[in-house]
Amino acid sequence: MTTKALTFPRLFPRPKADTGIWSWIGTVDHKRIGTLYGITAFIWFIVGGLEALLIRAQLASAESTLIGPEAFNQLFTMHGTTMVFLVIMPLSAAFFNWLIPLQIGARDVAFPRLNALSFWIFLFGSLIINASFLTGNAPNGGWFGYAPNSGATFNPGLGMTYWVVGLNILGVASIAAGLNFIVTILNMRAPGMGMFKIPIFTWMTLITSVLIVLAMPILAVAGIQLQTDRVYGTHFFNSLGGGDPVMWQHIFWLFGHPEVYILILPAMGIVSEVLPTFARKPLFGYPFVVLAGAAIAFMGWFVWSHHMFTVGLGPAVNTAFAVSTMLIAVPTGVKIFNWLGTLWGGNIRLNTPMLFSISFIAMFTIGGLSGVMHASPPTDSQQQDTYFVVAHFHYVLVGGALLGIFSGIYFWWPKFTGYFLNEKLGIANWALMMIGFNFTFAPMHWLGMDGMPRRIYTYAENMGWEGSNLAASIGGLILGLGILVFIINVFYSRMKKVMAGNDPWDGRTLEWATTSPPPVHDFDEIPQVKYRDDFWFQKYPETISEYYHDEHDQAVPSGAQIDGDDAEANAELPVVTGSADDHGDEHGHGGIHLPDMSYYPFILAFGLAIFGVAFVTDGLVLFAGAPFFIWGLLGWSMEPVND
Amino acid sequence: MPVAGENYGWYASLAFNAISPIFVVGDFFDRILNNPHFTYSSQMHRVSKLSAPLRPALLLLVPVAIALLAACTPDNNQSTFGTAGPVAKDQAGLFNFIFWIAAAVFILVEGAIVYIAIRYRRRSDSDKLPYQTHGNDKLEVTWTIIPILILVAIAIPTLTGIWAQQNGVPDDKGEVVFVEAIGHQWWFEFRYTDHEIVTSNELHIPVDRPVALKLESQDVIHSFWVPKIAGKVDMVPLNDNYMWMIGDEVGTFYGQCAEFCGIAHAHMRFRVIVDTEEDFQAWLAGMHTAPDTPSADSPAGRGKNLFAANCSSCHTADTTSPGSYARELSSQQARWNGWISDIENSSIVSAPNLTHFGLRSTLGAGIKEFTADTAQAALEEWIHDPSSVKIGTRMQKHAAVYDTPDGTANLSETEVSDIASFLLSLKPGSAPAGAVADAGGDADGEAIFASNCTSCHSTGDNKLVGPGLAGVGDRAGSRVAGLDEDSYLEQSLREPGAFVVDGFPAVMPEWSHLGDDSIDALVTYLKTLN
Repeated sequence: MTTKALTFPRLFPRPKADTGIWSWIGTVDHKRIGTLYGITAFIWFIVGGLEALLIRAQLASAESTLIGPEAFNQLFTMHGTTMVFLVIMPLSAAFFNWLIPLQIGARDVAFPRLNALSFWIFLFGSLIINASFLTGNAPNGGWFGYAPNSGATFNPGLGMTYWVVGLNILGVASIAAGLNFIVTILNMRAPGMGMFKIPIFTWMTLITSVLIVLAMPILAVAGIQLQTDRVYGTHFFNSLGGGDPVMWQHIFWLFGHPEVYILILPAMGIVSEVLPTFARKPLFGYPFVVLAGAAIAFMGWFVWSHHMFTVGLGPAVNTAFAVSTMLIAVPTGVKIFNWLGTLWGGNIRLNTPMLFSISFIAMFTIGGLSGVMHASPPTDSQQQDTYFVVAHFHYVLVGGALLGIFSGIYFWWPKFTGYFLNEKLGIANWALMMIGFNFTFAPMHWLGMDGMPRRIYTYAENMGWEGSNLAASIGGLILGLGILVFIINVFYSRMKKVMAGNDPWDGRTLEWATTSPPPVHDFDEIPQVKYRDDFWFQKYPETISEYYHDEHDQAVPSGAQIDGDDAEANAELPVVTGSADDHGDEHGHGGIHLPDMSYYPFILAFGLAIFGVAFVTDGLVLFAGAPFFIWGLLGWSMEPVND
Repeated sequence: MPVAGENYGWYASLAFNAISPIFVVGDFFDRILNNPHFTYSSQMHRVSKLSAPLRPALLLLVPVAIALLAACTPDNNQSTFGTAGPVAKDQAGLFNFIFWIAAAVFILVEGAIVYIAIRYRRRSDSDKLPYQTHGNDKLEVTWTIIPILILVAIAIPTLTGIWAQQNGVPDDKGEVVFVEAIGHQWWFEFRYTDHEIVTSNELHIPVDRPVALKLESQDVIHSFWVPKIAGKVDMVPLNDNYMWMIGDEVGTFYGQCAEFCGIAHAHMRFRVIVDTEEDFQAWLAGMHTAPDTPSADSPAGRGKNLFAANCSSCHTADTTSPGSYARELSSQQARWNGWISDIENSSIVSAPNLTHFGLRSTLGAGIKEFTADTAQAALEEWIHDPSSVKIGTRMQKHAAVYDTPDGTANLSETEVSDIASFLLSLKPGSAPAGAVADAGGDADGEAIFASNCTSCHSTGDNKLVGPGLAGVGDRAGSRVAGLDEDSYLEQSLREPGAFVVDGFPAVMPEWSHLGDDSIDALVTYLKTLN
């Protein structure tokens, strides 16, 4: 920073606070942003969960009139939208933020202010979607927004406009975050950390981020088209004007299926960290797990029409997508078998994170198997749009993604906060969730096979669906109780503060090398990496030879072939100090480079949110957003990273 | 192929017992997995048996599994297991095939999880490090190839099924019945194109004959689904779809819209009635036979006039005569045009054809079943306040007769009862098929007007669907240059689209079928309206 750049006049002093509201609004620290993501998403998780409980209350008995069809349609639309966009994705983002710099031995993400911008846009977007409840206009056309039922003709009112505007705003946040993590993982790895030495969670984050960057723009295109259909009367999907409603489905699912992997791959990454740690064995077949993840992400682009087997695309199309969909089961199976291989022969500690991770495998397998059933179009023609499908994707997204996320919460909580979550409450949380989850969603399999369609707010008494629905509703309450125990656990553990130390689980990856919680700059000294699971092999150098025993090329692809019998190599400590690498004097305490705080991301996001509000209120509101947007943009552009 | 729903206890026991070999072969996998050189690793202590107390605990899974599986009850109305047609049967058969493969994988994986978690759990405080193996290439190849082989096994019947079920109606299974099925918000219309019959919500098909369905929609996407006879295919606007099915069992089967289509999606149901060939032919003939005319002072007779005055702008109930089929199609289109041009205030809306309603057993798109005993009361409830039966129905919002403070019908109890009686009296009568009611030479224009026109036109100044006709005789001669009042009025009846009064939708059907005498009588009557 030698040349004096153009500067934009500041209305407020640059935020410097370490505590208080401004320390959060101005933060660019990946850990604080991760916390903000986590807390926000968890609040929406509670909201989405309550929506689900209301749905289950309505369906607990036949011919129920507890809540009418309009409220029911709003609830299932918002439940789906909330859980996908406001819960699972941002909870994953919370882990990305917290862990990626720590796992790759970096001080922050590549673009810290962009990272803050992502969070604030996400926050405002989520508020806009949910504000629809306050104005009595909650979206009611389903999270999938099928045209023309989502268009202005058949769905007048502002509900679906809130929905599509909110999604468009959220998309900006996701794309920015995705780019950020791709660059971070590719460019900011600690010296020596080749791509096949990065932790598996980081790999899954990279793959997920690539999917986000490629998939969210597709949703944005569909969203903008639907928005102009609704607001300006265009006819992209409006069949009354000659638009094609099937085109919406193609675009939506071309986004929507990769989205499924955006939701599940981070959880797979978490599980792939937890299982080795608690089995005290390395991940079995690391390169295969990585490649399976990449294969899933790649093949995920060629299966979208399996959401449309009953749309009438014809036997040739259905054949192609049936085959591609079945093939994607192969890399998924590879992951499951490698997890089992990881556990096999381990010294398995069944702590809470491990219980959640093992349950993940068990439940996700069920979701995968039912998925194969409707990969077959003849079978799917009975299952499509029935509760069988509801059961399937809840086994994947609750039994998979959510259990994985809970595993991660229990696993990394000591790292995030310095203290453990209570183990007994944790086991109660796990047990209640597992019982409740299976009670809720297992009966939905046979409800679907018994012909109960999705998205019906009521059903007749003579259909034989009452018992299973009642069981599902009771299960929902038990599941909710499990979440309640988790919340109690958070507050109880915060009160008791059983301190964990830096490496409570005998971890394998770099985040366990720094303090708990980590300092602002993450690492006092940037670590030097030599092995996969480097931190583990520092602690147990005698096991290096076992891991690299008969390795050929795959385990050490970056060329640093390790001779397991070489005692000298084993003894060498990977952490070095000094100026042996490009980062120069940043390794010492004195030269740590961290960006200063900034309020511009918040202001820019605020301006963008006002733009969104204009579409559900009045076009003139755009002018109210413009000053914030321009102020944020210019101020940010001209603000030096450090003063 | 075992049919799901039978012998679950036996299958469940079999499934559970299938887990047990895992505990035996565990030792073998132990060798492969934990030592890259395939020699027994002495550092692993060997535990091959489950501790005694855990066995009974696991046995609890058996009754649980039985209870869960027994929930698949083929007798349920929309069960996909108790099939009544070859398409659904093949689909259920394929499901069963995949299910048992999945069950085997499930037992293998879940059994392995339970086994591993128990066998390799940490005992005492031992923090002994397991062998830090990196993996095993041979195993990776194995568990990549085996799933591929399994999926190939699933893909073969899948692809066969796709091409058998989705590639057009087979030509070797008997004479095909062609039906156009149209999804409306929120009811189903069925048109028998070859027989010129239109009906709604209850689809009659002959047993053991293929039915080819053309699936359409004008409004939003619906899905046509009769679980026991065939899986679903969507009804997509601007994208007509085709499916075929065969009912091989006589009876009534439940169908339901499966694609979310708005507020009354849950109430969009229908029935498929599989008749014997004889009954089906009788039904076809009946649909072309006019009902007997009720005497004017009977409940049905009074109901007929009330129906004409209050209901007939949306519901046609007399599509039995030649030409009436084409007329109903254009009327239905006209109702749609009227509704879509003014969704909020339209006084007409697409509505089910009620011809021979007396043959039906459900109302409100299959949501309320009735018997001969309950029919009258059910219909009265429906006519009085449709939303109390079917939330979201458009009938109450658009029909003028419901334009009351509380939204219930502007009809006395007797009037409601009369309309219900009339509808239930609609059955094939004793007149020969195809007879047309022509008033003959002494046609009474006022009576024809009362029974055909009053649901859309008042004789005063007030607008219903169409303009009020007070004074029409005075202005008829000046509407269109070159047409005198007689010619204009006749053209309005025979070609209503030729001139449409400003501010009104072009929705009026043509009335030539009334016959020349009736048209003349109507024109004469209209001229008297001053």
